[in-house]
This record gives sequence, structure tokens and C-alpha cells, in this order.
Amino acid sequence: MFGYVRPLQPELKCKDFDLYRATYCGLCRCLRQRYGLIAPMLLNFDFTFLALLLWESEDRFVPCRGRCHANPLIKKPMCPNSRALELAADESMILAWWKLRDSARDDGFWKGLPARMLSEILKPAYKQAVRRCPDFDRVVRGCLEELAALEEENCPSLDRSADTFARLLQSAAPQEEERGRVLSQLLYHLGRWIYLADARDDLEEDRLSGRYNPVAARYGPDGDDTALALTMENSLELMGAALQLGEFGCRMPLLENIVYLGLPFVQRAVFDRSWNEIKKQKIWRNDT
Amino acid sequence: MRDPYTVLGVSQSASDDEIKKAYRELARKYHPDNYQNNPLADLAEEKMKEINEAYDTITKQRSGEMPRSSAGSYGGGYQQSYAASSNPAYARVRNLINAGSLAEAEQLLYQVGQKDGEWYFLSGSIAYRKGWLDEATQNFTRAVQMEPNNMEYRQALAVMQRGATGGYRPAGYSSTTCDPCTAYLCCSCLTPWGGPCC
Repeated sequence: MFGYVRPLQPELKCKDFDLYRATYCGLCRCLRQRYGLIAPMLLNFDFTFLALLLWESEDRFVPCRGRCHANPLIKKPMCPNSRALELAADESMILAWWKLRDSARDDGFWKGLPARMLSEILKPAYKQAVRRCPDFDRVVRGCLEELAALEEENCPSLDRSADTFARLLQSAAPQEEERGRVLSQLLYHLGRWIYLADARDDLEEDRLSGRYNPVAARYGPDGDDTALALTMENSLELMGAALQLGEFGCRMPLLENIVYLGLPFVQRAVFDRSWNEIKKQKIWRNDT
Repeated sequence: MRDPYTVLGVSQSASDDEIKKAYRELARKYHPDNYQNNPLADLAEEKMKEINEAYDTITKQRSGEMPRSSAGSYGGGYQQSYAASSNPAYARVRNLINAGSLAEAEQLLYQVGQKDGEWYFLSGSIAYRKGWLDEATQNFTRAVQMEPNNMEYRQALAVMQRGATGGYRPAGYSSTTCDPCTAYLCCSCLTPWGGPCC
């Protein structure tokens, strides 16, 4: 998870913006309560989207207030704790820990040192998350091993390598019943899209360092932006089609903003290289 | 059955035009064209049925008639009607794909020796259902190259190539207007009201 999944803020209604921030702050609080003071560092927009998706459909949203982790002197509106938020926090912990391990491995001894240290510090928290969601951890571990094997053999199929990450994310939602099927399809294509966006973002860096890159393996060292954009848009379309079949209540406009506007915006930014600047921006930078 | 007004998302006091507008928007959303070969097509079909029944009930109630139990204003044409396959194995593969048994369909397809246009089309359909969209596009392209006159294959490929312009968008989220290239999908008599969708 890399922070690609965010709303397009100028197009958000104020109430949806408040809902988004309250979910973000609520997830931060939930991570702190469950995994200690360092865990909120792992928080990002992708995990917030996961929390929004997993939340049971509600017609109305009533925030409670809680102390901000970054500045305990102020109180902020936060969404109340719920099963969805706890699940999102547990899964975020597991995903973030594996991501840290991944960076520690990829970046070599010195550059990977911070990630390795952080992953050691967070190890007890990760173990605790695994006790809460053992199945999810098993899928994540299995999919990442498959992905590593495909990278090793320089897999030329874009879909095959993307499939590992897509299945990984797919398992973040319970698979049962109608809602499970909808979430499962949505998360599969979100995972596929994130994987491809990240591969495109890393294309030049991977070429310089000689690492495997699925986009280069499929289209050649320079990639093929037209074809890649098209196949990513196909995934976005299927996400939208799945979203419309789910019951998301008051969270629907926010989810629609992310799927129909936020993700295409990020995709364009990744392709024209403006993403490196945009990703550092806080969505609430105008806020006092 | 749920309250028909709730299904259409309108109040009991809504005017006939408002109801029609709400119905059209929902019919556009759940239209089978948006869910062709989609693993969730059955859910969309149920939704479509529900809004059809709701709209039907309200119109009948308002015109003073008794509502018929299951008369959809938009009915047929949902199940994908496939052209008759020349190879009996293909017919079985199609059934397996429709039933969602993708691994079995794939296995059966690989036992067919001769790879013709339909083979690539079916291979592409399986890939599409699995979410392997790049391979789906490649297979549909091969199918169209081998049989350029087959409408079924061309339509499948057109869906892959329309990119961001395709599919349903709620009001306010559409980045582009209706693309004339896909007009045959949306401006045909297939729309429930038999006219253009946009």
C-alpha cells in the first residue's frame, strides 16, 4: 500500500470531507489503541479507503471527538470505534509490516536500515495483529512469496504478477454473501490497479538499478503508456461497476469520489511524473 | 417486496416525471451492458428486476390499475445470447464460464486442438472474468483478427478499448460525454426507454 488511493479533494462536498477526515483520524486512534504509539506512523490514505469500504452501510454518520495523536492538545472529530475500523487497523498493521520488510530487503544494507529497524520495533505489534487475523496474514505471506518467485523468473505476464497483489488485497474483506462478492471484486481490481500504478511509478528507478519491473517485462524498457493506461482504466471501470452494486449508505459519495475521480487523477499524475510532488501533499493542507 | 418508492429512491409525493427520471438513472446504472461477462452480472440483474417491478407497480398504482406481479418494463435480453458454436466443446466452455467455473472452462478449452477465433474469444472471456484484463485484450484482439466480421468478438474488444469513456458514471462524475464509437451500446433500442442514453 503506497498512498495512491485518495479522494480528489476539490470535488468533495464538505460533509464528505469531514467524514473522510474523521475516518482517517479514527483509524489513527484505533491503531494507537491497539498497537501502541508508533503504529499511527503507518497510517495512510489507502488504509482509510479500506476502513470506509469495510464499514457496514449506515444512513447517517455521527462523529465523536478524540485527542489528536500528532497534537494531543487539540480535539478532533473522529469516527467511533467499530468492527470495520478494528479490522482495517489489524490488516493495515499486517500490510504495513510486510511492506517494511519488503523495503528493507530491496534497498540494501544501509538504505534499508531505517525500514529494518522500524520493522524490528513493530514486530510485537505485527505478531499481535497476526493473532487477530491469522488467515489474512497467511494469504499476504503466500501471495508475496508467489510474487517474489515471479520476480525471480522475470515473469513477462503483467496479469500474472498483478494477480498476486490483487488476490492479497482481495482477502482483506470477508468473502461471504452478496456484500462479500462485491467487495472481493472491488478489492481485486484495486489491488491490480495499485500494483500497476506502482510498477509504472518505479519504471525508471528499476531500469537504473536493474530490478524486475512488470511493466518493462511486458512492454519493453520504456513501457507503453497508452496500453498500460487502458488496462488500468479497465480495472477502474470494473471497480466502479462493483461499487454500484454494494450498499454503502452515507459513505457512497465519498467512495464514488475516490473511484471515479481520485484514482484517475492519481493515475494521470503517475504517468506524467507529477505524482512525486502530489504524493507529499496533505489532503488537509488548507485546514487550520 | 420492498416499498417501490424506496427502491427507486423517491418520496411517495414525487411527481410522475421525477419517478421516471429516477427509474431511468437506475436503469442506466444496472443496465446489462455495464455488466457483460462481469462476475457480478447476476447481482446487477436482480437489481434491474427490482427497479423494473417497482416502476411497474408505481405506474400501475397511479393509473388506477392493479399491478401485475412480475411484469418488467424492461425484460428480455439480459442473458448473453451467444451465437451457436460450431464446436460442441465451445458450448460447454460457455456454460462453464456463465456458471463461474473458470478453472474447469480453462482446462476444457486447452483440450481443444485447433485454435480459431472462437477459441481466442473464449480464452479472453475467461481471462476477463478472472480480472486478467491485459490477457483478455490480447485474446480478443486475436479473435477479431481471425474473424473480423464477428460482432460478438468485436464488441468484446470494443469494451476493452473504450477506456475511461466506458461504463456507467453517476451524474456529476462523468469526465466525458457519450462516445459515438460506443454509441451502438448505448444509443440502440437496448435502452429501456428505446432511445439514446445521454
